[in-house]
This record gives sequence, C-alpha cells and structure tokens, in this order.
Amino acid sequence: MPGRSALKAEARAALAIARKELRIAVRYPLNAVNEVLQPLYQFLLPSLLLGATFLVGGRAIGLEASAGTSDLAGFLFLGMIVGGLVGTAFWEIAFSFKREMDAGTLEPAWLTPTSPETLVIGRAISGLVISGAASLVLLGIGLFVFGASFSPGIWLALPALLLAAASMIGIGYLVASMVLLLREPSFFVDATNFLFAIVSGVMFPVVVLPVAVRWVAYLLPTTYALDLLRVHALGTRPLLSPALEWILLVLLALGTLLLGRWVFGRTEHRMRVKGTLGQH
Amino acid sequence: MSGHPMEPVGRTGRRASGPTRGPAIEAVGLVKEFERGRRTIWQRIRGEADQRERFRAVDGVDLRVERGEIFGMLGPNGAGKTTTMRMLATLLEPTAGSARVLGIDVVAEPREVRRRMGAVLSDGRSVYWKLTARENLEYFAALYHVPAAESRARVTRALETVRLTDRADDYVERFSTGMRQRLVLARALLPDPEILLLDEPTVGLDPQSARDLRERVVELRGEGRTVLLTTHYMEEADQLCDRIAIVDHGRVVALDTPTGLKRTIAATEVVRLELSGGEPESAVLDRLARGGSIAHSARENGALNVTIHCRSARDFVPAAFDAARATGATINHVEVVPVTLEDVFLSLTGRALRE
Amino acid sequence: MSNPRSGRLGSAAADLRAFGAAGMKEWRLLRRYPSLMFGFLFWPIVLPVAYVLQARGYAGDSTAALDAFAARTGTSQVAGFLFLGWAAYMWISMILWGPGTALRTEQVRGSLEALFMTPVSRLVILFGPLVSQVAWAVWMFAIVGTVLVVFFGVAIAPLEALRALGVIVVAVPALYGLGALFAAVVLRFGEVHALVQGVRGVFTVFCGMSFPIVLLPGWAHAVALALPPTYLIGDLRSVLLGSSALVGVLPDLAILLGLGAAISVLAVIAFLRTERYARRGGSLASY
Repeated sequence: MPGRSALKAEARAALAIARKELRIAVRYPLNAVNEVLQPLYQFLLPSLLLGATFLVGGRAIGLEASAGTSDLAGFLFLGMIVGGLVGTAFWEIAFSFKREMDAGTLEPAWLTPTSPETLVIGRAISGLVISGAASLVLLGIGLFVFGASFSPGIWLALPALLLAAASMIGIGYLVASMVLLLREPSFFVDATNFLFAIVSGVMFPVVVLPVAVRWVAYLLPTTYALDLLRVHALGTRPLLSPALEWILLVLLALGTLLLGRWVFGRTEHRMRVKGTLGQH
Repeated sequence: MSGHPMEPVGRTGRRASGPTRGPAIEAVGLVKEFERGRRTIWQRIRGEADQRERFRAVDGVDLRVERGEIFGMLGPNGAGKTTTMRMLATLLEPTAGSARVLGIDVVAEPREVRRRMGAVLSDGRSVYWKLTARENLEYFAALYHVPAAESRARVTRALETVRLTDRADDYVERFSTGMRQRLVLARALLPDPEILLLDEPTVGLDPQSARDLRERVVELRGEGRTVLLTTHYMEEADQLCDRIAIVDHGRVVALDTPTGLKRTIAATEVVRLELSGGEPESAVLDRLARGGSIAHSARENGALNVTIHCRSARDFVPAAFDAARATGATINHVEVVPVTLEDVFLSLTGRALRE
Repeated sequence: MSNPRSGRLGSAAADLRAFGAAGMKEWRLLRRYPSLMFGFLFWPIVLPVAYVLQARGYAGDSTAALDAFAARTGTSQVAGFLFLGWAAYMWISMILWGPGTALRTEQVRGSLEALFMTPVSRLVILFGPLVSQVAWAVWMFAIVGTVLVVFFGVAIAPLEALRALGVIVVAVPALYGLGALFAAVVLRFGEVHALVQGVRGVFTVFCGMSFPIVLLPGWAHAVALALPPTYLIGDLRSVLLGSSALVGVLPDLAILLGLGAAISVLAVIAFLRTERYARRGGSLASY
C-alpha cells in the first residue's frame, strides 16, 4: 500500500498535470473560447432550430408527448451538460494521450515515478474544470438567452452529475487504453464519443431509440444522470423509477471506475511488453 | 522484500562510496524478443496459430556499469542499444534475463528505479512548446515527486546546469534544437538522479551544440553521477566514455576502456590504400598482408580499397608500394590514420559502424 | 540552354505531376489508416440518423407537429430533409479538415518548409490535397442516397439523381475555394481544430443543415444567402425532395459559380500573403 507521503506526491503530480493542461488551454485562446461556443453552434442551435420546425403555436407539443416537457431549450441545455462530461472523458482524458504521444511528451511522463493512473486523473481534473466552466456559461446562456427555466429541484440532481463525472473517469481509463493501443484512434474516439452521448439521451428522449439500442442506453451511467437531471429540473417523465436510477447510477459509476482502472493497468503492462509505450 | 540495498539517495549518498555498494547498473543475460507484423482480429477469432516472425533485438546482453563512470554503448543503428536502454529505463519488459539499477530490479520495482534515474530516450525528446522552460521543468518536477518545498530550487539548479537560466521564462517554441535538447537534459536531472540514461544524446545537433552537450555530460560525471549513453558516433564514445561496450546484433561483442579496445587490434596505425590494376586481386592482398593485417577490402568503381592495420605506417607504406609494383598494381591513394574505435568495430564484426 | 517558353511549359507539366502526386499521397494516407475509411461509412449514416431520431422526439405522436414541419420545409420527408442537409455538412467538413489539417501536419512536422523549398507552384501545395476528396464526396452522396432509398423509403428517380449531381458539380469550385482559403488561414493562425469547428459552426447555424432557413431572423437570413453551402443544401432538397427541375434553381447555381470564382481568388491571395508573412516571421515551421 502506498504511504501517505506517496499519495501526497501523486496528488501533487495530478494537480501539476491539470495545471499544465489548463495553462496550455489558455495559451490557445481560440480553443478556450471554442469550448463554450462549440456546443452552442454545433449542437444546440441546429437542435433548437430543428425543434422550432416542429413547434405548433409556439409549443413543443411533440416533445411534451415523448419526454414530458415542452421546455425545448431546457431539455437540450441539460443534455449538453452531460454531453460535455462525455466529451471530457473521450477527448480531454483519453485522446490527450494521443496528442502527447504525437508531440513526444508522453514518454518522459512514463519515465517518472508518477503512477500512470495519475496521468489519467490529472487530465480528468483539468477536463472537468474546463467542461464545468463551459457548462456554467452555457447554462447561463440557456437561462437568459434561450428562455430555459429550471425548477429549484435541479440541485437535487447535483450528486447525479458528480457520479456521472466519476464514471466518466472510468470511461476515460477505458478509452485511453484504446487510444494507447490503436495506431490512429481519432475515428474510434470521435465515433464512440458521439454514440455514447446520443445513446445517453443528450439529443432526444431515450424512448425514441429502437428497442435494442435502448438496452445499451440502460447500461450507460450517463443515461441515468441525465434522466435524473431532467426529472428534477424540468419534471420530465423518468425512464425508470428515480430510486432505481440512483442505485443503478452508483453501481455503474463504481463499475466503470473499477473496470477502467483494471483495463488501463493491463494495457500499460501490455505496452511495456510489446515496447510501444511512449512510442508513436 | 525488494532486496535492494538500503542506501542513501541524493548528493551525499552518491558521493560516499564503500565496499558494500554494488554497481550502478547490472544486466545479466538480457533478452528482448519482438514480433514482426500484426495478427489480425480475424486470425485471433479463428484461433489460427501465431505465425508472426520473432526476432531478438537484444540477445543476451551482460553489462556492469560502475558508479560514477560514463559508460557508452557503441554500435550501428539497430544493434539493440536503444532496446537495452528502454529495458533499463523500465519502459520495456525483458523477455528473459534480469537487470538491476542501483540494486533495484527493473521489472519488480519499476517505480523505485524511475525515482532514482533520469533518462533522455529517443522518443521523448520533446517538451511542451506552449510552456516556458521553467514551467516545463516545474511540471516534470511534480511528476518526479520532488517535494514542493524543493521544487523551485531543483528547477533553478537544473536550468543552471544546462546553462538555460537566462531563457528560463521564454516559451520553448522559441528555442533552438540545441537549447531544447539541453532542456530535455535538465528535465532528466530533476530527480537529482544518481544515474542518467542518454540515448543518442547528440543526434540531430549541430557540432557546437553537440560539443556543448558533451561538456555538460562530463560535468555530470564530475558531480558523481553515473552516465550510461548510447551512440553510433565513435568519436563521441572515444572522447566521453570511461568504458565502452561495443554492441552488434543484440550482443556485447567487446567491453573495455577506449584505449583497451583499441589495443585489441595489434596495430597502432591504420593505412587505407586505393589501388588499381594488379591481377589477380588475391595476389595483391597476399603481398600486402606480409606487412600488416588486412582488416577490410572491397572493390569500388574498379578500384580496390584496402584497409590494413599495422604497427608502423613508416615501415609499411614503402613495402606496400613494393608489393603493388610486384603484382602490377598502382597505388592511387594512401591515407594513414591512428587506430579508432571504428577500426575496432570493423575488426570485430567485419562491417563499418555506419554500414 | 532551354528557351524560357519550353521551360514554362515544362514547369507546368511538372506542376501537374506534383498535383497528381499530392492527391496520390492523400489517397495512400487514407488507405494506410483504415479508420478514416470507417469514418466515411459511419458518419454519413450515423450523424443524420441522430437528427432523424431527434426529429422523432420532437414529433412525438403528434401529427400536428409533423404538419408544422411539412408546412415550414415544404416536404414531409423528415429523413430526406435531414440526410441531405447533413450530407452537405459532412462534405464541407471533409473539405475543411482535409487540406487544412494536411498542411498543418506538414507544418508541425517541419516538412512544409521542405515542400516550400521545392520548385512546385504554391497552387499545387494549396489545392493538391483537395484532389483526393472528390472521390469521397461522390462516395458519401451515394451512401446517403442508398440509405434514404433503402431504409427511409425516399424515392429518388434517376433523373432526380442526375439533377442532384449537377448541383454538386456546380458547388465544387465554391466549396473547394473555401477549403483552400481555410487552409491558408490555418497556416497563418496555426489552430486547425478551433478554426474548423468555428467555420463548421457558422455553416451549421446559417446554412440550414437541420432546418429551413426561413426560420432565421432577417439578418441571419442575409448571412445565409452569402454562404455557398446554403445554395447547395437548398437546391439538393429542391431537386430531390421537391422535384424541381435544374432550370428552377438556375439563379442559385449562377450565384454558386460566382461565389466559387471569388472565393478561389481570395484563397490564392490569402495563401501567398500567409507565405510571405511566414517567411518574414519564420513561422512556416512553427508549432
């Protein structure tokens, strides 16, 4: 078991990684601005405008029928927050390994006594800080510009978001493993990130998914986190009973974390055997 | 128990040497096998036999690097130097054999090894371009678990060592290749390591930067650190290293001091001749061999190039002219040089280092 | 000594060969990285399907909502409407990513400097990577067409397909001009990712990939009319879903061609300026 001082050293390393990532992020100012704007113009506006095409007398009666709320903006903005979390796992945690490999800065990190797991945790911290900040700005925009309105009960769903964040670290481990193993992981990350997000219900209520895919949705922690968020903030119809969703969310968060850590550890070992660690 | 000696780490620990202290690095029968090609998912699913070709990049390397020396591994590209380095640096697990760094097993306790070692390897010559030199080092200091209170001083000292103090707060994107390489060396110094692994440290550098870096390496030995470096520049190995292992095809073919290695050739000088005419070739070579030993001969563009090791060129060259005349050959060019490690390599392997 | 005239001809032929080589290199890269190929199969289907599902969520079980959609878009074929919009989006994305990223990658690796030192025309460097993308555009529209016909029951007659092809061909100069302009800007500012996202975002919001542009407020509508993708998408929908003849969209096509010429000229100017700037500031090889 690592001692306290070793844990402290790992924590400092994780914070140093996060600080480094944030520093670099602000030194590419366009990218930082994009963090907020991108979900807006890539996802929210086209989705809102498509929603507007279906309005009847200014009301989203179709959405009301399928999800239980006519607050189109509220529905989409909450989806986008969870979408941001998913994106953090896939891009900020996992894909950053590829960026560092390409830049030749990953190998020096493997050469330090810092645990490889800490490399993931550090990125998770910076990724969550960035996506958290972007989400707050976007929520503000949703509330004040697009007229979303959330019930005060939204705070009750905050633990769901935290659990989703924890499970995203687990997913980050898993995807990072793939990133390290695949020669050209961009497509894999892009595609799985998109599928993960839409199957979780970021764009539409999960009930519109074909039945077989809906079963996949039931396996994703983000499905429950988002559903609970919408139930508490917008009064949507829950997918399952909320109590069951909470239990499943806790179990899935734990499960992804444990599985992710295990797979990442195996992957790192495999790379040490095959000699591909740090190489590109 | 790990079995590694309970020895102090850090500057004071490094300088004190006693009879109980073992070697800095010890490798016994180190082997690394790789597979060529890929096994497709389809082949895996069908459970087909693995038909990938296996090859040994390192084929039983034994090394013992003493504390405080600069130890070089000299060999051509693909000889297995880098693979050996990567195993010692814990980035690669050996297929067989064992290696200990400061008495610590690299497979059983890789993190303990990394804690005490600084390394500059071939794929990790990069730093973050959008950070300053200091920010880069502060970041890596945390990764090396340098205590917060010491971090600043450690970074400053590393910058001083590589003479980058005046550029410490510039973005690395504005650095020259040589400066970046020095920064990479500074990074390897952050853990205040007793041992430094440098894989081809001067590759890609201009002569001035390379000389500069070599000077830094000598200074590091002066501080009591052990340096293990690989190179395929024989001059570099000759100049820098206290001892050299000549590596070829994944094996150590000779190991000694530079002088000792050169002494293995029973010659003090090397004569290179370019001849034309003279038939048959064997007759020419036979006659030349009477004055020295023929290390290498090859025909190029019709001319016969011969490398001869001899005790004294002063005696050999006139005899060579006689030999040529006797066999109807003409000597077009004569070059006399002292014995170098290149010649040692040639005599050991029959090939030139850069072939 | 060769005379200057034959020298010029020779250099044009060499440029042409270099052009071919640039396209070939891109093609080889695609073949070497099969994941890119998967991408060309995955995205043209999955992205529009996501929006079709979203539309299903918006419609619920309400026929009134579906009627509202038909009234605003002029077609009741939700899937056809969305697939065509997103197909155009993906084509544009490829054009923006491809050359910009290719040049940027060369810049980061330092091989761009080497390229600039060769005597090939700058136009080859700028437009070369676009060559290999033509085939992929055809491929993508073919996939989208197939999915629409097979899975969503959209009837596409051969004549309509031909009309659509006509629209696509007319859009080529404008879109590839945009690609080249974008590549020049990337070299100058060095941030492909943010720039691609930004430009794509503008197109997504203004050009009506997922909605009819009549929904946009007046000023945004005006912006939409200045962007080539608006015409591409609108006309594709007209000829495939609204059974318009090409004559019906002729004014649009003329505007597309005009925009194409203007943008291509702008791209060349921007590229040459970027190169001069880079040479002065030494950022050609910068990260």
